[in-house]
Amino acid sequence: MAENTAENHQKSSKITLRPIQLSDIDDFMVWATDDRVSQYCIWDTYTSKDQALDFIKNNAMPHPWFRVICVENRAVGSISVSPNSGNDSCRGELGYVLAYEHWGKGIATKAVKMVVSSIFREWPHLERLEAYVDANNKGSQRVLEKAGFIREAVLRKHRIIKGKSRDMVVFSIISSDQHLDS
Amino acid sequence: MERHSDSDITIRPLDISDSEDFINLYADEKVRKFSSRDAFTSKEAAIEYFMSTDIPHPWIRAICLSGRPVGSISVSPFYGTEKCRAELGYVVASDCWGRGIATAAVKMAAKAVFVDWGHLERLEAVVDVENPGSQRVMEKVGFKREGVLRKYYLLKGRPRDAVIFSLLSTDDPLS
Repeated sequence: MAENTAENHQKSSKITLRPIQLSDIDDFMVWATDDRVSQYCIWDTYTSKDQALDFIKNNAMPHPWFRVICVENRAVGSISVSPNSGNDSCRGELGYVLAYEHWGKGIATKAVKMVVSSIFREWPHLERLEAYVDANNKGSQRVLEKAGFIREAVLRKHRIIKGKSRDMVVFSIISSDQHLDS
Repeated sequence: MERHSDSDITIRPLDISDSEDFINLYADEKVRKFSSRDAFTSKEAAIEYFMSTDIPHPWIRAICLSGRPVGSISVSPFYGTEKCRAELGYVVASDCWGRGIATAAVKMAAKAVFVDWGHLERLEAVVDVENPGSQRVMEKVGFKREGVLRKYYLLKGRPRDAVIFSLLSTDDPLS
């Protein structure tokens, strides 16, 4: 599959994942306060630094698997895997968000690929990594396809986003789907 | 095939006196095959589970044939940003299979739960890929088969592929 020119340029910029710190607050505010970014997310646009600090301290930092996506060590987004319990513990849900100015450069795809290549080893009980994407969010659907996820179904009126129930496309990658070179 | 008039098949709230019938229902290994419930180690354990989990369930009904309980059907809600949907589950005694009982019960339960829960928009069912009987019930009622979710859940500790079905409050079978 041919990669677009923008992705080839971006390959020289180092993309890394690391745990979030309180000092990331200003970078966090860049994407969290942007309606274009929150449009297809289940959370509402953040309106205050206190709200963001509360999320970072009480949600992101204690989260079972939450990382900020960094370009040259500056946080430009975040990515997380949420586990399930009991008879649902074989699956985990992937979520990610990226600041608007960094869209279209292959950063989200790279971050997702990095998670896929490590999460199944970190969580040996995990069989399935899944993601739910608003049916109208074509950009995010392309990210998952490029990262090797399989599109399984469109689930009608599956989640409430911005006050209305939405059709969501469910994607998954199975531990045995992985290729050794990713 | 023996068919019953739909008026023979009813659904009603559970009663504490249903515990004996529930124990017998789940003692049947054909019923347990695709159920998350394991065999109980004792009658006391079974009664305890019935009282602590079945009786207080947010939405559960006994499926009755001519007034006699032969199964149960339940709808489990989701919360927060997922409260527009709920998950259907049911069991029917194996000696009552093939008579349209589950189909009738699911139709009645779907109509009732959309009335009881005005905010509910989607009723979904997750059916093991190796359970064609239940897949046919969903199709006969008018649920839409949306796709197959790979290694979606654990059944008796093993990851299973499952077919996901949905019925919307606005779908035809209900209007």
